[in-house]
Amino acid sequence: MRPRNLIALLALVGVFVALYLTLYKIGVIGVLTCNVGSCETVNTSRWATFLGLPVAAWGLGTYIVILVLALAGMQGVAPRETAWLTALITGWGVLFSAWLTYLELFVIHAICMWCVISATLMLLLFVTSAFDLRQELRGG
Amino acid sequence: MVNQQRAQSTRQFYLVLLGIAVIGGLLIWRTAGKANSRVVAIDVKATPAQAEGYLMGNPDAPVQIMEFADFECPACGQFATVTEPDVRKRIVQTGLASYRFFDFPLTEIHKNTLAASNAAACASDQGKFWEMHDLIYQHQPEWSTEATSDPKKFFGRYANQIGLDVSSWSKCYDDEKHLQRIMANRAEGERRNIRQTPTFIIGTKMIPGSISYDMLKAYVDSAAAQVAQNVAKPDSGAQGGK
Repeated sequence: MRPRNLIALLALVGVFVALYLTLYKIGVIGVLTCNVGSCETVNTSRWATFLGLPVAAWGLGTYIVILVLALAGMQGVAPRETAWLTALITGWGVLFSAWLTYLELFVIHAICMWCVISATLMLLLFVTSAFDLRQELRGG
Repeated sequence: MVNQQRAQSTRQFYLVLLGIAVIGGLLIWRTAGKANSRVVAIDVKATPAQAEGYLMGNPDAPVQIMEFADFECPACGQFATVTEPDVRKRIVQTGLASYRFFDFPLTEIHKNTLAASNAAACASDQGKFWEMHDLIYQHQPEWSTEATSDPKKFFGRYANQIGLDVSSWSKCYDDEKHLQRIMANRAEGERRNIRQTPTFIIGTKMIPGSISYDMLKAYVDSAAAQVAQNVAKPDSGAQGGK
C-alpha cells in the first residue's frame, strides 16, 4: 500500500472517532453528564472546548481535511503541495494531541480511550505523511 | 497494462474506504439509537425524599421535579445556564411543577464542588440560595478545580453581588455549617442509585443526563397526565388509608 492510501485510510478512521466524540460532546450520542467515568470527565472538562468549539469538532475537521488532501494526492492533484500540507497539518495534530494527552494525564487525571485512539491515529498519520513527503521530494 | 492495473487497485482501494465508511456510519447510528434507553421508571410512593434539597415554586404543584447536580460539573452548568431559565419561567412559575435541587457533589473528580455547595447552602440561610446557585454556575470556569485552589474569594464576591450579609455568610462558610445537609442531599441521590449528574426525577421517571427544555416539558406533561388519571380513578388502597 502506498503511503497516501494509508493516510486516506487512517484519516477516515479518524473521521469516525472524532465524529463519535463530537456527537457525544453535543449530546446527540448519549447525554452530556458528569460522573467518575473517564471519558465523561475528559469530555466535560473545561479543556474539551477550544476557541469556542468542541476539541472533538476541531479533530473532525482536521481528519476531513487530511482525507480530502490524501484523496486529491491520489488523483494526482498537486501531489507535492498536498504532501507538504498533509505533513504540516498532521505535525500540528501530533503536537495538539500531545498537549491534550498531557492534560488528561496530569491536569484532568483521567484518560479517555477514544482520545488516546485519536492521538495514536494522528501520530501514525504524521509518520506516514513524512514517508509520503520524502517519497514525493525524491520524485517517487 | 500498468495503468490498467493501477486503476483497478485504486478502484479496490475506494471500495475498502467505502466499506469502512459504511461500517463506521452503522456503528455510530447504532450507538445513537441506544441513547434514549436509559430512563428508569421508579415507584414514587415507595421512595419519598428523606432529604429536603432546595425548593423552588409551589410545593403542592401537581408534579415534582427533582434535580441531583454537582456545582462543578460542566453538564450541570450547561443545563443551569441554558435550559433552567426556561424551566423556571414556563413550568415552575406557571405552577405546573415544583423544582427541588439536591446537591450531588462528585468530590472524587471535583475538588471545589463541596465548597460551592457550602457557599450556596450558606446563601440559603439568607433566603438567596437560587441567586447564589445561578452565579456559581454562570462563573463555573473561574472557580473550578483547574482554575483555583481558593474558590472562596469568588463565592464571597458573588455573596456581595447578590446583597448577602457577607460576614455572616462567611462565618457560615468557614464553619461548614450545612455540611450535614449537603451530605444528606448526596445520600438521597445515592439511595436512589444516581450515578451521574445532572439526573432528574420527574414524576415516576428518573432521567440521567442533561436534557433539553422540550424533553423536560414532555416528562412534566406525562407526569401531570398520570396524576390527573390517578385523581380520576383513585386506587382503593390509597383511599382506605385516608
